[in-house]
Amino acid sequence: MIEGKLVDLVPFEDDFAIHMETWMNEEAWFRARLWERREPHTEDDVKKFIEKMEKSERGALIGFQSKDGDPIGGVIFDHEWQRVRKADAMFFAGDTRYEGTDEHLDGLLMLLRYCFETRNLHRLDASALAFDEVRIDLLRRAGFVHEGTLRQHIRYDGDYVDVELFGILDEDWPGYEQKVAGLDLQPSGIEPKPKPEKKDDKETEAGEAKS
Amino acid sequence: MTILHGLLVDLEPFVPAFHQEKMHAYWNNESRLWATMGDCEPTTRAQIARIHEERSGARERGYTGVHFMMRARDGNIIGSIGLNWVDYWNRTAWLGAWIGEKDYWGGGHGTDALLLAVDYAFRWLDMRRLCLGTMDINERAQRNVEKAGFRFETRERKAALVNGRWIDALNYGLLRDDWPGREALVEQLGLREKAERRYGKGD
Repeated sequence: MIEGKLVDLVPFEDDFAIHMETWMNEEAWFRARLWERREPHTEDDVKKFIEKMEKSERGALIGFQSKDGDPIGGVIFDHEWQRVRKADAMFFAGDTRYEGTDEHLDGLLMLLRYCFETRNLHRLDASALAFDEVRIDLLRRAGFVHEGTLRQHIRYDGDYVDVELFGILDEDWPGYEQKVAGLDLQPSGIEPKPKPEKKDDKETEAGEAKS
Repeated sequence: MTILHGLLVDLEPFVPAFHQEKMHAYWNNESRLWATMGDCEPTTRAQIARIHEERSGARERGYTGVHFMMRARDGNIIGSIGLNWVDYWNRTAWLGAWIGEKDYWGGGHGTDALLLAVDYAFRWLDMRRLCLGTMDINERAQRNVEKAGFRFETRERKAALVNGRWIDALNYGLLRDDWPGREALVEQLGLREKAERRYGKGD
């Protein structure tokens, strides 16, 4: 666990995976993964995605949770280019109650902290649909700089919309402690959701009942 | 039709000589740095063979790119051009070109190839937008893509490392609605005259 001010980064394991089938079919997911086809994600798709990220040598999916241990969503760095020390940064609040909260922002800050202060990256790229004000606001507050607009780049609900491109350099990043000190992050007070029953448990119980 | 005929170049399917000889030369000469945002490590024939083998199985793994070999009008193989990732969902593709022979830089070869590739992407792959990336130090590429109708869209700060210096990466975009068509640009850019000057009157 890497502890932050409002959220902690944790391995993306069962506590998170159990929510992923819902999360990966939410609007928030498709806004975060803006180039993806708008198609249903089945249980198998979700499993394959988590496995792919787990095995990736150029990226990772990391969970972020509230201080109460409530799984909020994931942060991803991907397509890491070792020679140039750059990667794509992506983040999503799977639990949409947290969308735009300071916990959501802190998840992004923790990704930057990990990428710059642990992985020694030099630059991170991020993008947002032009109308996604929540995401753009979070990127700006985290310190990303707007670097231009890809015109009509993404199919969205019967139209083609612009994508805003952002970047942040190690020299733009003051360090997590200093960044957080300047932001006055406040917990949202959202009640942790009840822990869902694990599918494996149900199967085990059914198995036991039979025997 | 899988050979695209231009005025200074034709775009064709790759031949074994490209992978066996040309690739080794291009991966070890200066052209690589310009085509790849600064890569320049010495690369052996065995490494090239492995890269080629891996790439030849990419389509089965879901790779959607389409690549052509570039042959100049004098018959010499001079490079390649292609769509590195064709995104059929968003109808967007990323273009990339690599002229490995320095004697063919300038003079319109790259522009001619670019017009053929753009035309192909719009008319055959039904793309509605094309993207192209280059480095801020590559002024030749910037001139070429702007002449072909691409518009500058983004500047990614220090996104490439070339010979020890951080370099900005530039992205250009072209919408199909803004594309005047290959013929119009061939006229406008005087490609027929350029071809004639270099290769004489042809068929």
